[in-house]
Amino acid sequence: MTYFTLLTTNGLVIGLIYALMAAGLTLVFSVLKVVNFGHGSLYMVGGYASYYAITLLGVPPIVGVVVAMLALFGFGVAFERLVLAPMYTDKVERKDEYAIIVTFGLTILLTNLALVVFGPFSKSPPSFWQGTLIAGPLILPYDRLIASIVAIVLLVGLAWFLARTSLGQALDAVSQSRESAAVIGINPKRMYTIAFGLGSALAGGAGALIAPIFALTPDMGELPGVQAFIIIVLGGMGSVGGSIIGGILLGIVQGLGVGYLPDPNRALAYTQAFGALLLIIVLLVRPTGLFGRTHPRLD
Amino acid sequence: MGRRFKRSHVLQGLLLLLALAVPAVAGPYWIHVGALAWYYAVLAASWALLAGYAGQFSFAHVAFAALGGYGSALLTLRLGLPLALAIPLTVLIAMVLGALMGALVLRLSGPYLALFTLAIAEIFRLMLIAEEDVTRGSLGLQVPGLFSGGGDVPYYYLGLALVVLALMAMNGLLATRIGFFLRAIREDEGAAQASGVNTTLHKIIVFVATSAIASIAGIYYGHFVGILSPNMVIIPEMGLVIAMAVIGGIESLPGAVVGAVVVYALSEILRDYGEWRFVLLGLALILVQRFAQNGLFLFIERYLDRRTAPVSATPITEEGEYAKPS
Repeated sequence: MTYFTLLTTNGLVIGLIYALMAAGLTLVFSVLKVVNFGHGSLYMVGGYASYYAITLLGVPPIVGVVVAMLALFGFGVAFERLVLAPMYTDKVERKDEYAIIVTFGLTILLTNLALVVFGPFSKSPPSFWQGTLIAGPLILPYDRLIASIVAIVLLVGLAWFLARTSLGQALDAVSQSRESAAVIGINPKRMYTIAFGLGSALAGGAGALIAPIFALTPDMGELPGVQAFIIIVLGGMGSVGGSIIGGILLGIVQGLGVGYLPDPNRALAYTQAFGALLLIIVLLVRPTGLFGRTHPRLD
Repeated sequence: MGRRFKRSHVLQGLLLLLALAVPAVAGPYWIHVGALAWYYAVLAASWALLAGYAGQFSFAHVAFAALGGYGSALLTLRLGLPLALAIPLTVLIAMVLGALMGALVLRLSGPYLALFTLAIAEIFRLMLIAEEDVTRGSLGLQVPGLFSGGGDVPYYYLGLALVVLALMAMNGLLATRIGFFLRAIREDEGAAQASGVNTTLHKIIVFVATSAIASIAGIYYGHFVGILSPNMVIIPEMGLVIAMAVIGGIESLPGAVVGAVVVYALSEILRDYGEWRFVLLGLALILVQRFAQNGLFLFIERYLDRRTAPVSATPITEEGEYAKPS
């Protein structure tokens, strides 16, 4: 029972981080109709940004998360303005491919830049809070607890922002129809920039939260990046709520899978493969996902 | 139109002569590099056909190469088949799986297709890691060579022959109605279908053809390098192939070959700079896509055409290409 609780809570923590990442990816997809193939590398950069904010600037670890999110917001805005913006004009004929290629190029660029600048060896930022919470069968290091709480706060904040603020509703309007949103006076281009910036900030925040739990490496974004793809497909490519539920479920299922399947090598490989298989099945059988809505293509 | 046709052929002929002459002047190291570059050239060109011409942006292309490499190796090592039987059988398997994939992704496009094929490639890679008893997992599978003696030179010429044959086969395919139908599907699938193009059939054809070519590249790679690992299918490896094709020209098959050779050669020349090479690659990929979407090869070709033929101030138009009689 203790083992089960341990696996479930660990899965839940990772699931919340996944959900945070997937929510950012979803936000970008629903507004821009772009799957950001560089999302995993933004998560990695967020981790390092937090690390250097803590070690060089001497800010407390939790402020490091905020610094990382702000830095990534700025980076996302700049990347969207400089590289993605031509996509909305007639200069780019095949928009889907354009977006995949440039965001994929971003991954190659950032991952290798991290290897050069930060080095291939793993780095561990200081803990948010030393020690471990032990309450009955529940054993939870404070780092994981704090990461989960911050992730929940961010997710709730995001949901509130999208539903209750005028900017959030404007983003939602653009995600439903660019033309109609423009008619009522919303500038779609501004919303694209904001959505990409917010999406990047969420990825960066997720990376900064995971940093004290797992060490930082330049390729740390690869696996969560793929997981985020799986989650947004599960959640219906554009439903923020769906991606949150999908992220938590995937984290728990994988946590249990690794813990209970015999033969650790196979267990690790096949729990990852399970997610990919889920993606394939959902795309084939129910492309709108478990909670999804349909999305008009950007043309 | 005719002028451009000739000029680009002259250019390609010159490049081929250059490639043929390399082993005469280069040392063994560069012959080895060249032989590896041919593997990427075949992959990049066939991916350009799949993604550039047919608009099927697949991340599973390197998985088909690995399928070829592992298929041929396992059939000979585990089942004891002779190579002459194992190789065609492997290509056949790749074609069947290619057809299956083409059929599965019929309704998917753009980012959905990319995610789907990425998931397929991931599953394949994870299976290669997990089933250690058969594939030796991450330890790597030893593969016997094709030639005894001669070093890398025979492989170099075999690889070059594969590049030329693959280009000829794909150009042959594109010169038929299939080529025009593929482009029609890419531009507007609904309109193509409404005009009577059998989109289902043609999508499957392009997946079968490019999967077969990718598997042949993988077979060549496996027997040349002598060791296969699941790392053949990691995402950065696919990224390399995509970068090569895009930088060279995603809508030009010879362009993709040139892109592959230039990128691979540069990555060897600049070896001292370590990972900076890949920083540069990522940057080049973004910049080429941002400012020269047809790739650098077409860019140079057009520049040559414009200089020699001032009359053709109008760029080579789509109409011109479609007007080519089939």
